[in-house]
Amino acid sequence: MLTLPSASRLTQLSTRRPNHRQPWRWPHQLVCLLALFFISTTTFCATSPADPDKVLHIPFEAADDGFDMVKNANLYSGWVSESIFETLLTYDYLARPVKLVPLTAEAMPTISNNGKTLVFHLKKGIFFTPDPVFKGKPRELIAQDYAYSIKRFLDPANRSPSLIFVNGKIVGMDQLVAAAKKSGKFDYDAPVAGLTTPDRYTLKIELTQTDYNFLYCLTYSSFGAVAREIVEGYPTQLASHPVGTGPYMLQKYTPRSKIVLVANPDYRGFIWNFHSSGTAWDNQLVKEMQGKKMPQIGKVEISIIEEEQARWLSFQNQQLDIDWLPQIATPTALDGEKLTPAMTEKGIKLFRAITPDITFSIFNFWDPIVGGYSLEKNALRRAIIMSYNIDDDIIQLRMGQAIRAEMMVPPGMAGHDPAYRSSISYNIPLANQLLDRFGYRRGADGYRTLPDGQALLLKFASTASASAKTASEIWKRGLDKIGLHAVFLVNNFADNVKAANECKLMIFGGAWQADFPDGENFLQLLYGPNALHGNNACYQSPAYDALYKKAVSLPLGPERNALYVQMNRQMEADSAWSLETTRIRNWVMQPSIIGFKKHPILNSLFQYMDIKKKTS
Amino acid sequence: MTAYLLRRLWQMIPTLLGVIVLVFFLFNWVGGDPAYVLAGKMSNPEQIANIRAQLGIDQPYTVQLWIFIKQIVTFNFGASWSTGEAVSSIITTRMGPSMTILIPLTILETVIAIALALGIAFIRGSLTDRLIMIACTVGMSISILVYIILGQYVFAYQFGLFPVQGWGDNLWENLFHYSALPILIALAVSVAPDLRLFRTFILDEVNQDYVRTARAKGLSERRIVWVHILRNAAIPIITYVMSNLPALLIGAFLIERFFGIPGIGREVILAVERSDFPVIKAITIYVAAATMFFNLLTDLLYQAVDPRVQLT
Repeated sequence: MLTLPSASRLTQLSTRRPNHRQPWRWPHQLVCLLALFFISTTTFCATSPADPDKVLHIPFEAADDGFDMVKNANLYSGWVSESIFETLLTYDYLARPVKLVPLTAEAMPTISNNGKTLVFHLKKGIFFTPDPVFKGKPRELIAQDYAYSIKRFLDPANRSPSLIFVNGKIVGMDQLVAAAKKSGKFDYDAPVAGLTTPDRYTLKIELTQTDYNFLYCLTYSSFGAVAREIVEGYPTQLASHPVGTGPYMLQKYTPRSKIVLVANPDYRGFIWNFHSSGTAWDNQLVKEMQGKKMPQIGKVEISIIEEEQARWLSFQNQQLDIDWLPQIATPTALDGEKLTPAMTEKGIKLFRAITPDITFSIFNFWDPIVGGYSLEKNALRRAIIMSYNIDDDIIQLRMGQAIRAEMMVPPGMAGHDPAYRSSISYNIPLANQLLDRFGYRRGADGYRTLPDGQALLLKFASTASASAKTASEIWKRGLDKIGLHAVFLVNNFADNVKAANECKLMIFGGAWQADFPDGENFLQLLYGPNALHGNNACYQSPAYDALYKKAVSLPLGPERNALYVQMNRQMEADSAWSLETTRIRNWVMQPSIIGFKKHPILNSLFQYMDIKKKTS
Repeated sequence: MTAYLLRRLWQMIPTLLGVIVLVFFLFNWVGGDPAYVLAGKMSNPEQIANIRAQLGIDQPYTVQLWIFIKQIVTFNFGASWSTGEAVSSIITTRMGPSMTILIPLTILETVIAIALALGIAFIRGSLTDRLIMIACTVGMSISILVYIILGQYVFAYQFGLFPVQGWGDNLWENLFHYSALPILIALAVSVAPDLRLFRTFILDEVNQDYVRTARAKGLSERRIVWVHILRNAAIPIITYVMSNLPALLIGAFLIERFFGIPGIGREVILAVERSDFPVIKAITIYVAAATMFFNLLTDLLYQAVDPRVQLT
């Protein structure tokens, strides 16, 4: 097989300065340059269909944290990493509900032993992008890379925020982790019974207990394969030196400002062959993209633009190709669920996506005022929930770009029941009656007291942001109507997170976006044993916990989903959360962008998209 | 002079120590615990303890303070807690963009304000003087946010004279393409207070006896203004300009954020949001040191400008 130098090496060669001490020999040098140009061009074309002239400009609304995804859980870092690193499985681009498909695995894994043993066979001939640590040799992706990458999450020195996905789940790993904590060094070479590579391309994982969502965990963007040589070769620069096997590679990185990705010239590519889910949008995508060699986009320039006005004006000025509509632009760009005629005239396209998330307010069950499981405490929480006007939340806080969250599992996630309706709604008269009935009497100042006559002051934890202020105002209006006195304590985010984790906040707002497309990812937030780590309500209901345990022991399907419904009802019965909204994200794109459809879980979709070139 | 310099340098040590102690206790008191932010969405107490141990924030305060002092002495502030990037790298790479904006801005702002102040000082009380002062007061009363939002909308979006935001790869492009609008906006905001202040400094000199004497000697107005008055008004102007210079090190928060400039100001905001103590303490210490250095430089300049000043 003819092996040609990679584009990056050719770029290095072509940018090398001539030696001025030697006479410049035109014909010889010219021939060399022409040859070099020819080779570089043919190399690019031979292995990657990506067109270097197709440059996609997109913004991130917040800064990334680098690309060592074991060490951070930053959404934007994950976004970029999805293009650079490859997981064993991925999601079908168009299929809804979402569907897992192999990525670097040859096929879906063999699952046995009641879901506890998973065997993956890797595709052969996938290579990492060239790097000096590989000493000029092609570095093939092998099963050991995935085993190593999984171990990195468990290495205490990496203090991984994604540890939850694998912690305690793999047979024999706990002993290795315990030894690492004792010795201060994680032994990556020590054998682990539950994580083995029987041959170069086979990865076998044995779980400590049945976990039907583990495949989703492995598909999470942080679980892309890294090469051990890279990690060890760049111990302090790994975050800015990602080397993967994916369709794109990092060309330029100005932390917190700009990220430039270029198509990986050695990427194996694929043919765009996804099936429409029957929507007009999908049909159009299939019509425009079917049969194309991918990826088509040669370069992706990502600018971090925190301010909404700057993003929106940049998009309108065509400095950006695609963005989600900032809230400030909603009144001028949208007319209901459609773009305004002015936008349509410019050829701007809109894709509305319900995000896989929920917003909610949490009651601390350990708090002496609002916590506990007695009827009078439940009545207080219920009345508080009934005083919150979700319609105001949608209109004032979300600028109309949200829907009411009826259940803890948002639309699009396994376990969501479209027919489910929450039993608690905004109802001021009923809330007042409830408080009267349970002895929360109004005092001389118009505010209610506890049934035993003591002062009743609700303390909401808040932040200094504009959205937090708006939410506080909505709460205050409702609570005043039912005679409950509330204060909103503004604090910094880190302090609020700490206090929430320690179950020291009385009431506070939260949001959760799906890590994987199953309801369990949301329902775990109220699972009793997760109190003090994730269950920030410290809600511990034996009934809820029993349902949760039963649900996770079942394979994904209707029986499991029915339990999810019961858990939602239990949460409502105990008034554990004030469940509020699921947000809608409006993706706007320039007329030249084709092939885009936001996936509920995947973020980096550059490899599925194309840019129409202007015809002269 | 050498004795003066040594004495001033020696006096910096207790001042810096005071800053160190203040920064350290302020951060530990109100800075929030970064372990909970770094631990991710579903962290347990064991993870939190592990992170705290790795960051060294589980150590007694005295040990942490000693480590902080050692970092200052060795100029090694370690790595950012949130990104792992070396603090030295953060400061060196972000300083360039901030300086690209702030150095031209400071020069233009000072030169324009002095020139205008000299001009209007001689027509004091006239309609033009009053109109300019009213314009300055109005200009100062409007938030910089309004200037930025309007500037981006009108000059970048509507007229297309500048890019809305962005930053390039070379100094030329950055200075004349991406920095032009931010500098113009910052200039519009900063010239007004400078002009009012410098006008006052100059007016203090205009009616002095030496000006009358110069006129009586038959000197030209140009010479009186540029040589005699400006030289005497220079001392308060220098004090003001020099005291503002350390602020260059912390960049222009809003300008950098709205215009997508990868400067140090933006980094400071992010570090505060994430309780990234290594970055915050490095920048704070550098700014404190720079303030002391520029104060010393100001005193030295006094002597250069006015030989009557004796540094002893």
